[in-house]
Amino acid sequence: MSLDEAIRLRDPSRLPSRRDEDWRWTDLRGLLRTVPEPSQRLEPGELGVGPFDGLEGEAILVANGAGPEDLRIVADESRTVILRNVSRGDGAHASRLRIEVAAGGRLTLLESHEGGGAGLSLLGIDLSLGEGASCERLVLSDLDPESVAVVELDVRLSARTRFAQTLMTTGARRQRLETRVRHPGQGAEVRLDGAYVLRDRRHADLTTSVRHEGPDGRTEQLTRGIVDDQARAVFQGRITVQEGADGADARMAHNALILSDRAEVDARPELEIYADDVACAHGATVGALDEDVLFYMRQRGLPEAEARSLLAASFLGEVLDRVEAPVPVEYLRAWLAARLDAGI
Amino acid sequence: MVAVKDTVDQVAGLEKYEHGFVTEIEQEFAPKGLNRDTVAFISAKKEEPEWMLAWRLEAFERWSAMESPDWARVSFPPIDYQDATYYAAPKTKVGPASLDEVDPELLRTYEKLGIPLREQEVLAGVAGAPRYAVDAVFDSVSVVTTFKKELAEAGVIFCSMSEAVREHPDLVRKYLGSVVPVSDNYFACLNSAVFSDGSFVYVPPGVRCPMELSTYFRINAAGSGQFERTLIIADKGAYVSYLEGCTAPMRDENQLHAAVVELVALEDAEIKYSTVQNWYPGDPETGKGGIYNFVTKRADCRGDRSRVSWTQVETGSAITWKYPSCILRGRESVGEFYSIAITNGRQQADTGTKMIHLGEGTRSRIISKGISAGRSSNTYRGLVSAHPKARGARNFTQCDSLLIGKSCSAHTVPYIEARNGACTFEHEATTTRLSEDQLFYAQQRGLPEEEAVQLLVNGFVRDVLQELPMEFAVEAQKLVAISLEGSVG
Repeated sequence: MSLDEAIRLRDPSRLPSRRDEDWRWTDLRGLLRTVPEPSQRLEPGELGVGPFDGLEGEAILVANGAGPEDLRIVADESRTVILRNVSRGDGAHASRLRIEVAAGGRLTLLESHEGGGAGLSLLGIDLSLGEGASCERLVLSDLDPESVAVVELDVRLSARTRFAQTLMTTGARRQRLETRVRHPGQGAEVRLDGAYVLRDRRHADLTTSVRHEGPDGRTEQLTRGIVDDQARAVFQGRITVQEGADGADARMAHNALILSDRAEVDARPELEIYADDVACAHGATVGALDEDVLFYMRQRGLPEAEARSLLAASFLGEVLDRVEAPVPVEYLRAWLAARLDAGI
Repeated sequence: MVAVKDTVDQVAGLEKYEHGFVTEIEQEFAPKGLNRDTVAFISAKKEEPEWMLAWRLEAFERWSAMESPDWARVSFPPIDYQDATYYAAPKTKVGPASLDEVDPELLRTYEKLGIPLREQEVLAGVAGAPRYAVDAVFDSVSVVTTFKKELAEAGVIFCSMSEAVREHPDLVRKYLGSVVPVSDNYFACLNSAVFSDGSFVYVPPGVRCPMELSTYFRINAAGSGQFERTLIIADKGAYVSYLEGCTAPMRDENQLHAAVVELVALEDAEIKYSTVQNWYPGDPETGKGGIYNFVTKRADCRGDRSRVSWTQVETGSAITWKYPSCILRGRESVGEFYSIAITNGRQQADTGTKMIHLGEGTRSRIISKGISAGRSSNTYRGLVSAHPKARGARNFTQCDSLLIGKSCSAHTVPYIEARNGACTFEHEATTTRLSEDQLFYAQQRGLPEEEAVQLLVNGFVRDVLQELPMEFAVEAQKLVAISLEGSVG
């Protein structure tokens, strides 16, 4: 992995750049001339509260790249883990976490990405699910505007497993949330959702890749987002159906609203199909808020600003409606609303 | 069901690739290999002015410094550019005054291909039947261009590129390379250095071209490639509809076809460009032979309210690698792309379009239907982008892929780049196999399987076939059936 090497060896030439097709809209080499020095150690006492504090669950902390390397959920066990990934300062760090959920186990992963300073960070997670296991991942990311952060998740599923995730982010100077799933089919189900609200000069890249390797797999994806000011959103979704992975049913949707003339949305929804008995589809739309609807709402007496934020909230709300984790959906709505309210 | 019956009969009566014959004719060639002398040889053969040679040589220098691109989803062994000839022409004098001077063997070739080179042949038949003018390109030269006189009366220039360089140098200098720059990409650059004939069309302001124009490209010689260059200019308020067709003999070697097509539409002008591409696809079992069709096609909608429509039916070639594109520069200009790409046997296709919205209120529409059968690979790759000034830009894209059989593949790779707050882009794509329910229904009604598949496939591609000029729509429908022959069961 080139970003990992770039950080460890402090070699900017190994940073992913626009010359790498999968990074063409998230150019790190062009942004960073040098790789910052390794980050200082961060004392847990300095960290304040995280967005999931107060919810029940077992806390795990990754502070400037330092934290546990392994997490194991044994068979038939059901656990909620609150993972805080916190960065401070302007250094660089990379870390890797392995999570194994044994057969029949259930994991709810409540993950937050916080801080970031003006540094560069990479967190890699390897997640494997044993037969019949399930995992729901919910990510809230709210980073400092000068940070550059990449989170990569590699998921290995077994037969009859279920993996679902919802990413919610406000971006960073450059941020990439990448999810790669090896989908064995055989009744396994995958849901990959996301919502983003980007302002100022922030950037967020939601990249997913799902590889159907066995028959009868299902994949569903819904990503929605709003970009304003000079922000830039990137969505890349690839669904591959390998030879023999018949009966695959995969659907992907990405819808974006652009609210400013200087904002940008780049999308690449990809299908790569090597089997014939499949039903695969993707849809992508980019547009402005519907003026007719706005007019209607204003005519009904709503002030324009309120009408806009109501429309934006309901647009993103469909993503929240699909969350299954035991987190009050009002809590997530409030989290989003707080980020929308700054004047849509 | 008469039409279906007709199609079935046609298919049954045809060999797999009916255009695969070779014309035995005396030809002269450029010496094998590619260097400055080759370029100079071609230029001299075409009696070109000095500026044209300089242009070619500059292109050759740039090409020599470039590397063959590898990003497309196609694979082929490295091409030995020194192991080919870049000019092959029948040994008759250039630009015969009348058909009587054309080698009768050539005339028979076109007769066999069903291309009318005698104007009276086109006219014979029902009064009021649609007529179309033909520019027939055989390897590196244009053999004949029909209806030139009648077109000239309307002010339309329709001739071979070589002739245009000699007769209309001002127009050629003004527009050649203005849409596809010399060093745009590897194959376009190669073409700029060694291009031989292609068609040149100029439609003056306010003129609606009185008939369909078409060019028929035929590769005949072995060990050569075809590098034609086509330039079409529709001046203010003009309209022209242009169609190209192409075939080649069946050979075990791969032959390179690297063409460049440039379209320029000025204010209120409209160009409709249709392609029925039927190059030899190679042996379906071994994948041996066939044409490498690496083509650069681009339209520049320069004027406000101009309109360009690309329609392509891609059934042939061992490898197809092309993206007919529109640069929507003028305000409220419109670009359209309708495509059917069929791959069977061991064919590979990586094709699609680019719609680049630069002007305010520009619109584009993309309808792409890909069908993969046999052991083939079929990729749609496209770009839709709106620049900050392209407020009110709209795009609708629909890409559907159909898979017939277990060993083929279909891919969709669309790029969407929206850079202002007042554009609306919609993209949808689906990949499925032929519906078993529909097949069952059709068979239950008494249709044999092969016929049922054809019926469903014709339904699948109907949106695109409708965009073709009528007489070619029928031909294209037959081609669709032939290309899929043997893919069922």
